[in-house]
Formats: sequence, structure tokens, C-alpha cells
Amino acid sequence: MTAYILNLLVLISVYAILATTLNFIIGYAGIFSLAHAVFFGIGGYTAALVAMNVSPEFFVAVPAAMAAAAVTSLLLALPALRVRGEYFVAASLGLQVLAVTLFSEWKSFTGGIGGVIGIPAVELFGFPVYKPWQFLVMALICLAIIIAITRTLVHTSFGRSLKAIRDSESAALASGKNITVIKTFSVVLSSALAAVAGALYAFYMSFINVESFMLDTSVMVMAMVIIGGTATIVGPLLGAALLMLMPSALTYLTFLPQTEIGSIQQIVYGLAMVLLMIFRPGGIVSSHPGGGK
Amino acid sequence: MLFLQLLANGLQVGAIYALTAAGFSLIFGSTKIFHFAHGATFAIAAYLFHFALAGLGLHWTFAVAVAALSAVVFGVLLDRLMYAPIQRHEGSFFTVFVASFGIGIVVQNLLGSVFGRGFMSVSTPLSNSIEVMPGLYLSPLNGLAVVVAIVCFVALHFFMTHTFIGKGLRALSENPELVRTFGLSPRRLSTYAFALGSLLVVPGAIFTAAGTGINPAVGHHVMLISLAATIVGGIGSLRGAACAGLLIGVAENLAMWKLGTQWSEAITFAILFFFIIFKPSGFFGRATVS
Repeated sequence: MTAYILNLLVLISVYAILATTLNFIIGYAGIFSLAHAVFFGIGGYTAALVAMNVSPEFFVAVPAAMAAAAVTSLLLALPALRVRGEYFVAASLGLQVLAVTLFSEWKSFTGGIGGVIGIPAVELFGFPVYKPWQFLVMALICLAIIIAITRTLVHTSFGRSLKAIRDSESAALASGKNITVIKTFSVVLSSALAAVAGALYAFYMSFINVESFMLDTSVMVMAMVIIGGTATIVGPLLGAALLMLMPSALTYLTFLPQTEIGSIQQIVYGLAMVLLMIFRPGGIVSSHPGGGK
Repeated sequence: MLFLQLLANGLQVGAIYALTAAGFSLIFGSTKIFHFAHGATFAIAAYLFHFALAGLGLHWTFAVAVAALSAVVFGVLLDRLMYAPIQRHEGSFFTVFVASFGIGIVVQNLLGSVFGRGFMSVSTPLSNSIEVMPGLYLSPLNGLAVVVAIVCFVALHFFMTHTFIGKGLRALSENPELVRTFGLSPRRLSTYAFALGSLLVVPGAIFTAAGTGINPAVGHHVMLISLAATIVGGIGSLRGAACAGLLIGVAENLAMWKLGTQWSEAITFAILFFFIIFKPSGFFGRATVS
């Protein structure tokens, strides 16, 4: 039972990192990306590759994963600079679909559909971290650092510029904000931090394949941010916890047909998205009651 | 020969995409509602057609009527019960998209639970392929899909240019405020847009159910392609949606010729990605992009 709870907590921390980093661009920059799982995946694959071929040291594998995601995220920054709204959603969707095809076809990097097997345990200064509770502590520390980074940024002049761009790009431009730099930086930062989640996930599972990095994951992370509440700190954490606990909670409802649990879970969160958008568009933890951006 | 075969398949698939994209484009162009659940309408029409024909054993005309009715009812209900309340208090693009996406997830899983998750296809006398030339197999359905698409587009063009409602819808896409000052109700026009747009998925849904087959994710797939076609063609341009749908259908099938099936979706989205970066207004779109 302890092992089961620890496992759940580690996964919640990993997805909370994803939700927090996605919230950084959705909530504060108004960049509505459906390609977050791409950077989760790039982080995971890079960390796995580095751990297996170079060193399983945390401070080698994780920076490598972050760098790889940061570089590829420029592909997402490009449409973010040129278009907004529905056009950007479509572009990020395109990137997500392309990435899934590449993940399943580029066998030397990702192992194809079969995935990467036998990723070694991560080491912290030479000490392997493999016990679940040790791993949980490490994941929670990563989450805390990432929350601290995004929180600090949001409260600086950078964060205010970001919100200014979200609310009116032309007004921000008129007041002399360098939109290109600010937007590119926020996309790169969000993607690089999402890669941390990917690396943690790869080390924890010791096996990864393309199934974890598909459009479904991007949508689920988006749902976590939205259900929890955009542009808040607590919202994404709450959303991640709720969505990760739901499948396990549903298995306790024994009157439900067990083979349909997956579907029921999806129906519940689909409905939650619809009802929240109708009655409380800011999410459960709403930063501006009565209507979010 | 493989080339001709893939070209023929591409034209059929392209015709289906073109119609679905035209429906999405019509709704999005006139009401500015990003109706991602359009794919769900497609899946519902396809499954109910299949159920009426194979499950209940109805005559095909009734099955078509069931599919058409269900699509229109679903589209209009979404407009009235989901989009109208959202638009009343805020209606930002973001909110509408999330709600629409949510409905898509719900419908896909409901269909999976009710009808099963496997591939289903209904065989009709028209589905059987005949070897026209050595190595080239065509079914009457191939040609019929293209003919129906052309008929629908001609009818739609006539409707948009010669009827009061059609003109109203075009006016709504230009300037909703002006429509209101003229004493027309944007809400009512929106209902017409949803009814008509949803109706346009029906031929595609039927041809897919009777041809390549359907599974619960079919709506999602068709929606992704229609979205790509709408943007590549230019949002709000029916002509653009038709050309782009056809282009994507053919490109997808020709990609199989050189690269293999797994690349077909990637090709579509590579096309989309480059259009968004270099020419976001699409083939026939207006120059302004907000």
C-alpha cells in the first residue's frame, strides 16, 4: 500500500511539473500550446540516452535534457511570434503530430515504437537514487524549485511584460516591450523545465516509449491547468493531483464495469472541462472570478 | 498503377475532407466559434448510419436520414446548450476551444463504450471494388464520393449567394454588429450555421462508414485534417477549404507511395505548419490575421 501511494505521489509530482510549466505560457503569456508532451518526450529520451551512454549523474543528464528541449522549442516559438489564437493552437497541434511520428520512426534516438528499455537509476553526486521515497523527495524538490522559478519570474517586470503581451500585444509593443525576446524566452524556459519532468519520468519508470508523449498527454496536461485554474500557482498542482487520483479513485467504485474505467475517466474529465468552461471559466482556483483569460 | 490507385483513393478521401472542412469553415467563419467538436458530429453521424443500416437493418435512405438528423440535432444542441452560455458571459477563443475539446473526448469515449473500440465497416453493394485496369481497383463509392462532394459544393455556393439565410451568414462573418442593427439575430443565424455546417459532415461520415471503416477516434482524426484544410485554405473561404481538403487527401495518399503509411499524418501537418509560418491567411483567406 505504501509503495502504491509513493508511486502515485511521484507521478503526481512529475505531472505537476508539466502543468506548472504549461501554465507559465498559457496563463501568463497567453500562448496556448498543445505540444507540451513533445518537450516532456524530448526530455525523457535525451536523459535516457545520456544516462545509458555518458553518465547517469543527475547534474549531467537533466541539463542535457533541458538543453535539447530548449533548442527544439524554438520551433514552437516561431509560430508563437507570428500568429495568435486558433492559428497557434493549430501550429502546436501540427508540431505535436509531427513529433509523435518522429518519436516512433527515429529508432536510433527513441527506440521506435518499442521505446527505450533499461534506463539506469539516476545518481546524485555518485549515489544512486532508486528507493521510491528517495525518488519522491527528489521529484518534490525539483517541483519546488520550478514553482519558485516561475513564481519569481511572474512577479518581476518580466512577468508584468508577459501579462501585458497576453492582454494586448499591440499595447505592449507601443509601450516599448521587446515582444520577440520576451515570448521566445518564455517558450524556451517553459519547454526546458518541462524536460526536467521528462527526465524524472524516464529515470523513475526505467522504460519509456512514444505512448507517454502523444497528443493525449498534451491534452491531459492542458486539462490539468484549466481545471485547476490558469494563471495561479496552486491551480495546476490541484489539477494534476485531481486528474492523477481520478483513475485510482474510480477503481474503488466497484459497481462500475472495470473494463470501462479508462473511458469513464476520460468522460469525467471531458465533462469537467465543458462544465467548468460554462460556469467557471477561470478554473477551480480562479485568479479573476467571473472570467479568466 | 500504384500511383493511379493512390490518386483515386486520394481523391475520394480528399472529397470527404473537403466537405468536413467546409462545414467547419462555415461555422467558424460566420460565428467565430472554434467548433472542435465538429469531429464528434462526424463520428456520431457515421456510427448512427452504421447502426441503422447494419444493426437495425433499415433501408439505406432511412439510414442516411438518421445520420443527417443526428448530425444536425447534435450540432444545434451544442450551439444552444454549450456555446450560447459561454458566449453570453465571456466567449474568448480559449474558453470555447476547451469546452469543445471536452465534448470531443466525451463523445469519443461514449461511442467506444456503446459500440466497441474496434474498426467497423458496413458493406454495401457500392463498396465492392472492380478491377478497372490491371492493378487499379475502383468501387462505385470512389466516384460517388467525388460527385456528391461537387453537388454539395454547388448547392452550398447557391445557398450562400442566393438565399436570405446564406446572405445573412456571410454578413455575420463580415460584421456581427451590423447584422444586429439590421434587425437580424446573430444567435438565430448561428443556429443556421451549425445546422448547415453539421449537415455537411454527413456525406463524408457515410462514405467513411461504408468504405474504409470507422472507429471511435475517427472524428478526432477527421477534425485534425479539417482544421488543417481550413487553415491552409483560408479561414471562412469555402473554396479554400474545398481545394485544401482535396490537396491534403491526395498528398496523404501519395505520401504512402514514397514514404509509407505512418508518414501520411505527418505530411499533412508539415504542410499546415509551413502555411502557418509563411502564409497564415491560407490560399484564399483575407490578409488580416489577428
